[in-house]
Amino acid sequence: MTNPIVIGIDAGGTMTDTILVDEHGRFKIGKAATTPKNEAEGFLASAEDAADAWGLSLDELFSGVNVVLYSGTGMLNTLLSRTGKKLGLITTKGLEDMILMGRGLQTWADYSYADRLHAITHHHPDPLVPRKRTHGVTERVDQFGDVIIPLYEKDVVKAVKALIKDKVDSICIMTIFSHVNPVHEKRIAEIARTEIKKAGAAITVYTSHEVRPVIREQSRLNSVLIEAYATSRGRQQLKGIEDISKKYGFKYGVQTLLSFGGLTSINHPRLHETMISGPIGGILGAVYVGKLIGNDSLVCSDMGGTSFDMGVISHGQTRIENEPIMDRFKLNVPTLHLDTIGAGAGMIIKVDPLTKKVSLGPESAGSDPGPICFNRGGMEPTIADCDAILGRLNPNYFLGGKVKLDVEKAARIFKEKCADVLGVEITEAAEGMIDMLEQDANAALRRVISGQGIHPSQYTLLSYGGSGPLHLAGCSRGTGFKDIITFQFAAAFSAFGCTTADYMRRHSVSTQIDIPSSADEKALAGYGKKISAIWHDLERAAVDEMLADGHAREKVKVEAFLMMRYTGQLEDVEVKAPLRVLSSADDMRRTIAQFEEVYAKINHRVSRYGAVGFSVTELGLTATADKVKPTLEKRPLGKSDPASAHKGTREAYIGGRWHKANLYEMDDLQPGHEVKGPAIIEHPATTLVVHPNDTVFVDEWTLLHYRHA
Amino acid sequence: MNMLEKIQDALPLRDRLIESEKMMKETGCYDGVTELTLRKQDPLKFETLHTKLRASCVSAREMARRISASPGVREVGEMVVAIYTPEGDAIALSNGIMVHVHTMSRFIKWMIKEGYEANPGIRDGDIFANNDAFIGTVQVPDVMDVIPIFHGDELVGWAGAVCHELESGGITPGGDVCLAQERFTEGLFVCAEKIGENDEIRRDYVIRCERNLRMPIYWVLDEKAKVASCIDMRESVRAIINEIGIEYWRRVMKEFIEEGRRGQLLRTQQLTVPGIYRGHTFYGHVTEGKPGFQPLGPSNWLYNIPIEMGISTGGKITLDFEGTQPWGYHSMNCTPAGMDGGMFVTLTQHMNYEGLVNDGAWMATELKLPHGTWTNPDNEMVATATSWALLLPAYGVFQRLLSRGFLARGFVEEVFVGQVNSPMIEMGGTSQYGTPFGMAHFECAAAGSGALAIKDGLDTAYVGWNPESDMGNIEIWEQNMPMLYLGRSILPNSGGAGKFRGGCSFISTWLINKTNHLRLVTSEHSSRVFDNAGMCGGYPAPTCQMHRSVRKTNIKELIKKQKPLPHGIGIDPNHSDLEKLVTGVHETSEGPYITAPHKSGDIFTHAYNGGGGFGDVLERDPIKTASDVENGFLTAQAAVQVFGIVLMEDTHGTLQADLAATAKLRKTMRARRLKKSVPVSQWMKAERTRVNAAGFVIEVTRMYASAMKLSKRFTKDFNSFWGLKSNFMYKVED
Repeated sequence: MTNPIVIGIDAGGTMTDTILVDEHGRFKIGKAATTPKNEAEGFLASAEDAADAWGLSLDELFSGVNVVLYSGTGMLNTLLSRTGKKLGLITTKGLEDMILMGRGLQTWADYSYADRLHAITHHHPDPLVPRKRTHGVTERVDQFGDVIIPLYEKDVVKAVKALIKDKVDSICIMTIFSHVNPVHEKRIAEIARTEIKKAGAAITVYTSHEVRPVIREQSRLNSVLIEAYATSRGRQQLKGIEDISKKYGFKYGVQTLLSFGGLTSINHPRLHETMISGPIGGILGAVYVGKLIGNDSLVCSDMGGTSFDMGVISHGQTRIENEPIMDRFKLNVPTLHLDTIGAGAGMIIKVDPLTKKVSLGPESAGSDPGPICFNRGGMEPTIADCDAILGRLNPNYFLGGKVKLDVEKAARIFKEKCADVLGVEITEAAEGMIDMLEQDANAALRRVISGQGIHPSQYTLLSYGGSGPLHLAGCSRGTGFKDIITFQFAAAFSAFGCTTADYMRRHSVSTQIDIPSSADEKALAGYGKKISAIWHDLERAAVDEMLADGHAREKVKVEAFLMMRYTGQLEDVEVKAPLRVLSSADDMRRTIAQFEEVYAKINHRVSRYGAVGFSVTELGLTATADKVKPTLEKRPLGKSDPASAHKGTREAYIGGRWHKANLYEMDDLQPGHEVKGPAIIEHPATTLVVHPNDTVFVDEWTLLHYRHA
Repeated sequence: MNMLEKIQDALPLRDRLIESEKMMKETGCYDGVTELTLRKQDPLKFETLHTKLRASCVSAREMARRISASPGVREVGEMVVAIYTPEGDAIALSNGIMVHVHTMSRFIKWMIKEGYEANPGIRDGDIFANNDAFIGTVQVPDVMDVIPIFHGDELVGWAGAVCHELESGGITPGGDVCLAQERFTEGLFVCAEKIGENDEIRRDYVIRCERNLRMPIYWVLDEKAKVASCIDMRESVRAIINEIGIEYWRRVMKEFIEEGRRGQLLRTQQLTVPGIYRGHTFYGHVTEGKPGFQPLGPSNWLYNIPIEMGISTGGKITLDFEGTQPWGYHSMNCTPAGMDGGMFVTLTQHMNYEGLVNDGAWMATELKLPHGTWTNPDNEMVATATSWALLLPAYGVFQRLLSRGFLARGFVEEVFVGQVNSPMIEMGGTSQYGTPFGMAHFECAAAGSGALAIKDGLDTAYVGWNPESDMGNIEIWEQNMPMLYLGRSILPNSGGAGKFRGGCSFISTWLINKTNHLRLVTSEHSSRVFDNAGMCGGYPAPTCQMHRSVRKTNIKELIKKQKPLPHGIGIDPNHSDLEKLVTGVHETSEGPYITAPHKSGDIFTHAYNGGGGFGDVLERDPIKTASDVENGFLTAQAAVQVFGIVLMEDTHGTLQADLAATAKLRKTMRARRLKKSVPVSQWMKAERTRVNAAGFVIEVTRMYASAMKLSKRFTKDFNSFWGLKSNFMYKVED
């Protein structure tokens, strides 16, 4: 009898993937279309699809599991479709136009290289709060936290009354340098709550120093606005998921994923921190697999229909990005660092008839209408069409046969729009396009390698996502990774990753600790003491929250970090604290040395400038507690002949000619099997193409190791 | 004897450069590459390789931005990097301040031609820097670093990076030093120097920077950032060569550029109609009565910038500046390098933004810069610290000329009234930390753009020199200066009026805080004449705003009594909010701001420029206008008086357009126009009398006289246009 213990769900823009994990670490994958209006429907359909595979009813499934993890796109969609709450804003007087002026960079920041240059395409995102519901109140706090102009409380009363009259759902408050000294924001909120109460209105109040107490007012403003605007409907969606889970017998609270990794209850007070969580699951999954296979330095790569996301894990550590962009708004939400390029199987291929220039994307055919071969009305050639034309995709086994691919149609249109324009044979053109995509991804991986100063021979590349295995060979060729791994559950790897996350809190505080290069023994020891004291306070706060969530103290693990820079710089480097307590000048020196080492790795040693001194701008720590996780099953290696998984042959065009490629069923591969290319390993949700002379080895964890010839 | 003949040593790189230029002349193709063999062999490999090179530039630039201490680089992206051929032609480049891709090219070629191979030598690990505009940059703060890329013993390319420095050590703080009348007051010059070896910047060079700048950390860390990014690009190129082989590299880099050249020609053919296009603009620079300016020439300058653009049937664009004024003892002169840069950055925004973006596009164009004019001074001692003052209006004209071509060809959506000046504010003195400081405040990198033919211009988010425009965060700027923002707000009516209005700019209002010595200086103001026109009936962008300051204010008292404070200048054109709300010593000053230091408690305003309009104001959409007034882009007064749009409040207090009243008012305005109009011939006749009698202010007469002295063609055109005697000349005393 199979007993799933964890359900992980990743609701993407098109498909909702489910992974069920049983107590032996076995998986089943389910898929269903995402249902944005009521995500619970897609959630349930996807869970049912997975449960079917084990012959379980929904009641049996939900009543048996310990954990339901859900990462969805509902909040992001609320933002994208501008269907959020009616907001009012109170800010520092004189800066009300910030709503319209934005950061200039928001007019182009998520554009392609070409459109960044082509200035006439630039435009501001629509503001989340109109100018007429933005009120300024006289006040000013400076960078040191000194009150230069005390708050004019009468301005606040007037503003709040106007917003109550405007029937807003929420009032957001953002004043300059409130992250240094929130005294004015606090007082504004207090007055607002009083006035709201007096008026008997139901209006929620959000302050920027509570939502995101970090420097850069525009990002802080965007964070508080998005939290107020988009998360309340998201909360309802999450509640809907929880309700339906409970209806089928689930006994606990549903969990969701934070953009900096880690699980939190769906009652998390800052839900906008969960909005960029989709690809984060993949990184977490990679960390987990890394531990399992004894290599904690990994580069993970996720290729879907539109984008190719890459993340780096060095010695089990991931990098945090502090200023990501969400729907064209610059934010201050710490997010696991991802490098993303537009590269996926759904990318539309264009050949300019005038200049014969080939361009891939950035548009993707998505799932509607999808590539030409889906035969749902798509008329623009995509990479997936090239894969079908070259026999790499099985026309009768796409999504397990649910979608029949019209290869003839794809070939006809591709020839006309691409091959003929370039004046080359259709097969040559199709392979060229795939090469181009894979080269883009390959180059992006190399940039990640050089950009983060890592040595590929010490790193393992993990490849997943629906299109990851399909293009793995080209993406990884020549990159020099120690090992290259993909998975039977590659298509649902992000959902799998969600299931591996721990409970987590990340607490930090802005600091201004400037350490001159001339600091003596006593001074250095003093800085160490100051830093240790702050860590101590942070630890207490984080642990208290974890205890309040019901975790036992002995289960809570704490790791401290410093955000450091050379004094005067504008960007920090995150440094893992080499010691938890800095009790001497030597301890402080060791910490500084650690910073210089990390810094030189990222930015090249020529850019070190210790003569100007060092600044610690933020001190923080993460507190984590374990939760039940899937375990991959380790089985002894059997014989290498994969005949038991062999299911026939197919003509496939690889490396400039047609080959009779062996076909294998991915789920039937067993530890020890070794598949020699040319071969195609198929799964209902993904396809692994093995190039001639390359091999795929199945290890004792049933992970697939791709070995280039 | 020219500089090429001075060096006697064997200089293979220099010979190669001469050979390359000769082959271009002979074949019309870059470096004599008449066939794109590699592209033909494997077009996808070719394209992919270029994408890879460009990606390595983009990521190298991002790395540098992480290192920088300058808000100019980190916050608003004042940086660009590129990879060059051994001869110094750009193959691939990052995003950013594109203007410098070609100025760096000039720098590399200059070193090669000057025999640097022999002395000081060009070796692996060397670092060269330059900020001399006559060698190759625009102005002193644009400091560039290049390093050679070797494959074995062979020099196979260059990597280069430029940042705009926020402090250059000139006579006033910052870098756009309007007080500079010769180069000797512009700041610290680095004239094509070898500043490092073995991938390390020399300590003595760093010391020179540390001792000659007001805020050395900006310059020094930027230098380190640039070198780190160059090393990163060099390593990428080496890895690529290892992969594709040196033979392929040698050929492919040339083909990339030739392909870029051909692409540009094709784009021009596709988007425009061949022919001659003419346009011009003016720029006024007022220094009369301002402290610090030496009496070396007139105190007020008026520049006419006529441009003739030719587009050949083959797609070649030629820009001819014949008829513009001579260089002068002011800071606005430009070198050919700067002129090239302006051309390059403008092309990348309109035509050269996709495909193989590189120096090839520039090679499909030609600049005719008359010797002795501000565009090509015949004296290398002139100052170029504020070249942008004339460059931006000039290339705004280029954008409008191109746009006429787009319009003629039917590409209405590409039409763009274009770039404007964006006055710079710089400062120095004692910081809020009690330390000496100096800084250019780069929020100017987010002005308003000109209108388009299909929509309004971009508000507060465009400048010509960097399409990736941005103003940065207040909290970051305030960490770098002893001033607090009392306001940063949209400046109503700052976009030129039209069916589609120009983008609006913004104004900043500051309270000086925690200092007793703050020097504020500004530059790039055309306060009396329009420096950016409109198109197709659209109004020009307004001239720049005056500066307003109040010293010895009663602000403390106002705060104590919780009285209203000024957060901008308000919308009353006759009395600003500063005058209405604050007592103290009020000053309103025009043009470059050069006065005594400010102290805590003083208030100061500085505004940026909006863009020109497109189309007839009477065709503007009334509904859009109601929203513009509500959001502060236009005043209600302008809506009715300029656009003929009548607005009213609905029951919710929201502004709505009264369409019937608007139609009626516009009818009256059209009738008034007709009544006021006269036949062109009649107007010309009246004006001719004035022109003949030099019935102008002295600045205008001097402007025409100086152009006539330099250019026979201009004189001939001018006289024939106005029907004057062929030997007519204006004369003024020098």
